[in-house]
Parts: sequence; structure tokens; C-alpha cells
Amino acid sequence: MSTILKVEGLRVAIGALTPLSSVSFSLEKGETLGLVGESGSGKSLTAMAIMGLLPLIGGRITGGSVVFDGSDLTALPEPAYRKLRGGRIGLIAQNPMTSLDPLKKVGPQIDVVARLHLGLDRSAARDRTVELLGELRIPEPASIYHLYPHQLSGGMKQRIVIAMALAADPDLLIADEPTTALDVTVQAQIIRLLSDLIRDRGLSMVLITHDMSVVAQACDKVVVMYAGTAVEYGTVAAIFDDPRHPYTKALIGCIPRGLAGAQRLKGIEGTVPSVAHYPQGCRFHPRCLRAEAICAAVSPPFIASHDGAAACHFAGAVG
Amino acid sequence: MSAFLDVSSLSKRYTSKRGLFGAARSMYAVNDVSFQMTKGRVVGVVGESGCGKSTLARLILRLIEPSSGTVRFDGLDLLKQRPREMRRLRARMQMVFQDPYSAIDPRYTVADAVMEPFQIQGVRLSSAARSDMISGLLTMVGLNPGTASSYPHQLSGGQKQRIGIARALALKPALLVLDEPTASLDVSIQAQIVGLLERLQAEMGLTYLFISHDLALVKYFCDEVLVMYLGRVVEALPDTDAPARHPYTRTLLDSTFQPDPKLRRRIEPLAGEVPSPFDLGPGCAFATRCPRASERCRVETPLLAASGGGHAVACHHPD
Repeated sequence: MSTILKVEGLRVAIGALTPLSSVSFSLEKGETLGLVGESGSGKSLTAMAIMGLLPLIGGRITGGSVVFDGSDLTALPEPAYRKLRGGRIGLIAQNPMTSLDPLKKVGPQIDVVARLHLGLDRSAARDRTVELLGELRIPEPASIYHLYPHQLSGGMKQRIVIAMALAADPDLLIADEPTTALDVTVQAQIIRLLSDLIRDRGLSMVLITHDMSVVAQACDKVVVMYAGTAVEYGTVAAIFDDPRHPYTKALIGCIPRGLAGAQRLKGIEGTVPSVAHYPQGCRFHPRCLRAEAICAAVSPPFIASHDGAAACHFAGAVG
Repeated sequence: MSAFLDVSSLSKRYTSKRGLFGAARSMYAVNDVSFQMTKGRVVGVVGESGCGKSTLARLILRLIEPSSGTVRFDGLDLLKQRPREMRRLRARMQMVFQDPYSAIDPRYTVADAVMEPFQIQGVRLSSAARSDMISGLLTMVGLNPGTASSYPHQLSGGQKQRIGIARALALKPALLVLDEPTASLDVSIQAQIVGLLERLQAEMGLTYLFISHDLALVKYFCDEVLVMYLGRVVEALPDTDAPARHPYTRTLLDSTFQPDPKLRRRIEPLAGEVPSPFDLGPGCAFATRCPRASERCRVETPLLAASGGGHAVACHHPD
């Protein structure tokens, strides 16, 4: 298998703050990797760093590398990035309403991606869009083409956003909470659609979500994030069956399994620290049941290996 | 034994003003809903956006006036109560809202917020009794009494929701209506709040009506479940292990992912999305999406009918 995306030791600064550090993972062609964590864990910031969008929020990469298909993106100039974004890397954002122009018909909004990135003329782009809408199981694609966003349901709008992400035939999709704004039955349909696309088109995907159940359903690999760092990385089976970081274990224990027996929920005491108040040592130690003196003093290293890794002084002994 | 809460044929109809291009249209946000609650039980109401679950919550507390039907609380017909009597009754039936950010006046301190119910009920307390009450309430919901002088913006979402719960319990109500109390919180905080609600219910013998879109959470937390679709209760489950018989309930179950990659779901394509609630024709509202729909479903509305053991289902072709 060949690696499509490799992130190593990624570190991001915004002004004097360092909201993101020590993020490492690699994504092989055809795989889906889940970036999972609670609010403020840094998962969206990781996506912005990969997409070269940090300047929009006054941020910059201050360490580590982002290698996409063999070339390092951290030093890529903006014009080259512009070709990549929407071209070889497609983005699916959380809220379809803010990704679509409310004043334009949805079809031409998809056309423009293929015209810009693939150099298609007006009518070729249009034929391609209608074909793509059909592939996304949108009924009567030729008439949907002429509708405005407000005439479509939430699930249908998200399909249009997926069509925009696919229009230039990308190799990598970055989906930032693609189903969070949707009802569960619609979420299930969109997850199925994304899984089918990954398989049929040989795509790779970074799926950003706060929902461990979505990760369990749709991902091959997982990066668990907490307070601006990656705390655990591994295959989806390893993460759920044998979590090595106490945060991963605690996070799984917070999810109601109403459908498979009534294990009592265990919350996590305390709250996620804000970026200005990250604690010394391990950032999870004030909430961790296993914490010892070393945890408050020394930040545990996070070294990604082939089998995955955990940033915990007791990673081998979590029971 | 008479029911603690007895809701009978409750409906709320909204009519839009005559539009620029057509006649006035109407919809039932809640349509002919009947159910009973026993004291000390936890009843869940689950459904997707627009199913009427929040409207139902507000109708029961008479925060909005129903179009028809009755609500009896502890033997009293709520719709016959005059405003002054209603206000007194509300001390015994309280609500916790979804968004703790907007439920608390930003200019109130935590102490003002939890004492507001006493002010509304015209209860005067000595300053010693007042400060005892404040620290008692805050301790009860797991907050440090020292937070009494804080303002809402200084608190996290989880802390704010604890304030919302403390305020709802201040007057020692018997019935608590919880409208998506954890929907805007991270899972680790959701688990804390659910744990708190479980403890309070056990200690105070409270009766809960728990509104949620999350079937896994409802099955975890509740004794009985009502499933709503487009204003109607389509299925009433007497306990959370009862096998679902309505095709919509089964769809919801099949769409709910499990936090375990070994329990991945095969997602069957489901036709369409929730239709517009305006001017629904005769027949079952789920018929447009239902794999079992027959001609009869399109012309004859199925009514909720008991099928033994407290189970009730509104379907012409149940499982």
C-alpha cells in the first residue's frame, strides 16, 4: 500500500499560543482515518493545517511536516495550494448551508470546480455534474441541477457539497463533521454514501468527528485528540478493543450503548482545559484516574509506529 | 391508580398567514397524542427534528396552549387552571432546557439564577435561609458553593446545565421535563449530567419526561419510550428491551451506530427524508419512506393501538 498523507510532529501557532502540537499519523490509499475528540481538541485545526488554510485565522505551522503524495505541503506557496484545494484534495464542511451560495443554483456551483481544476468547458462541466449527482443517488439529477439551495433538504444539500468536493476527481477527501447537523436516519445514508465512494473510487478520507460511534462505523484508523494533541493512534479495532490511553478508554465509557446492554455510563470529571491554560506535563492528568507525580511533570512522548501509539507514561499498563 | 400525568388527544395546530402565492396552510406540530405516566418513572420521547417532541414538552407544562385535548397532572385538569393557579402548579412541574447558554439571563449571577423561582413564586427568605438554600442547591448538582457569585459567561457548558437543573429543582417539583438537556454538550460532560440526573431521580423520587433525538441515550436512561414521527406517537415501548414493531422505530434503530467496530451496521438505503409537515394528506405520514407501505397506508391513518403488555403501535403492517 502507498501512503497518501503523512503528518509528523505537526505544531501550529496562533500569535503567542500553541493550540496544536505533536500530531502524527499516516493515511494509506483507500483508507479512512478518523480524527476524533471533544470540542477544543484541535481536530478542525489539524484539517486546516493540512489544507493550508491557517493564514485565514492568523495561524502558521511552526513545526513538523505534512506530506501529501510524496511532497511536503508546509512550504507550499499559496498559488500551488490553491490548485491542490478543491483539486486533488476535496473538502466537505460541516454545515452545508455555509458551503453553498444561497443566490446561485446548485448545479453551476458544482460546474465551476470542474471548469477551474480540470479546464472543462461549460457544457462538458454540466454533463459531468449531472452524472455525478446521479452517482450520489440524487433523484432526477437534471432537474435538481436547476434548484437553489433553499429548495433542498439538509441531506440533499450535504450531497451537493459532496458533489462539489468530488467534482475535480480528488485523491483525498477531508470531511469535517459531515453529518453532525443531520438527523440520524440521514446521517446513516450519508455515511453509507461516503463509504461506497471511498471503495468505488479508491479515495482516501480524513473524517473529523466528535462521535466515536461514527468512527466505529466508518473508519479504518483513528487518531484520538485531546486539548490540542494526539493522545492515541491506531487501527479502529485496537482503539476500541484495547485502548491504551486512559482518555480513549474514558471517552468510550461515556457513550450510551442503549442497544447492547446497560453498562452504567462513566463521565470524565472536570472539563477540557482552554488553550491558554494547558497544564504542565500530560494535558489529561488533572482528569485522569491513573495520574501519578510524573504525569504532572513530564509530557509523555507520542511516537507513531506502524501499530499505533499512545502518549501516556503508562500506555503499556492501562487495564 | 390514576396516572400521575395523563395526556389525552393532545394536538397543536399552527396556521401560516396567507402567503404571496397561495392560501393559508396549516400543520399539526403535535397530533392526537395520548399517554400516561406513573409517578417515579422515566419516560423518553424520541424522534428526529420536526417530529413535535419539544412542542409536546411545552404543551404539557402549558407554556403554549394546545388546540385541543387535555393534560391532567396529579388529577388536576391543567387547561382549566387560571393563570395564578397555574403559576402555583408550576412549582411542582419544571423544565430543563436544551441550551444552557440562553436559558440563563447573562446579567444574573449563579445565585440570582437559582433563586429566581422563589422570586417568581413570591417566596420570601431570610438572608441566612437564602444563602443556605443557594449552597444546598449548588452542592446538590455537584457545583462548588463558591460559584454562587459567578456570571454565566464564566462557566462551562456543563456547569451552566447544572445551574439549569439546580434552578428547576429549587422548588422541589415532582415532575421534571427535560428537553434535550445534553444535546449541546460534549460526550464526557453529557455522561456527567446523565449521571447527575440518575442520582437526583433516585434520591428524590422524581418523575422525568426526557426528550431526545438520541435513541441510544433514551434506551440507556429511560424506563419507557415514546417514538414520534411528524407530530404523532407511532410507537410506545413499555420498556427499553421491548422489540420495536413500527418500521420507523426499526429504521431509527438501524441508523443508530454502535461505539464498537464489531457491531457495524449494514445501512439499507431509505427513500427520501421527512416530508413537509404542511398539509399532510390522509394515511400514514411514514408511508412515503416505508418499505412496507401498502395502498391502505396511503389512504387510512393508522391509530396507536395497544398490542399487549403496555406496547402500542400505530401501523397497519407491524412486525
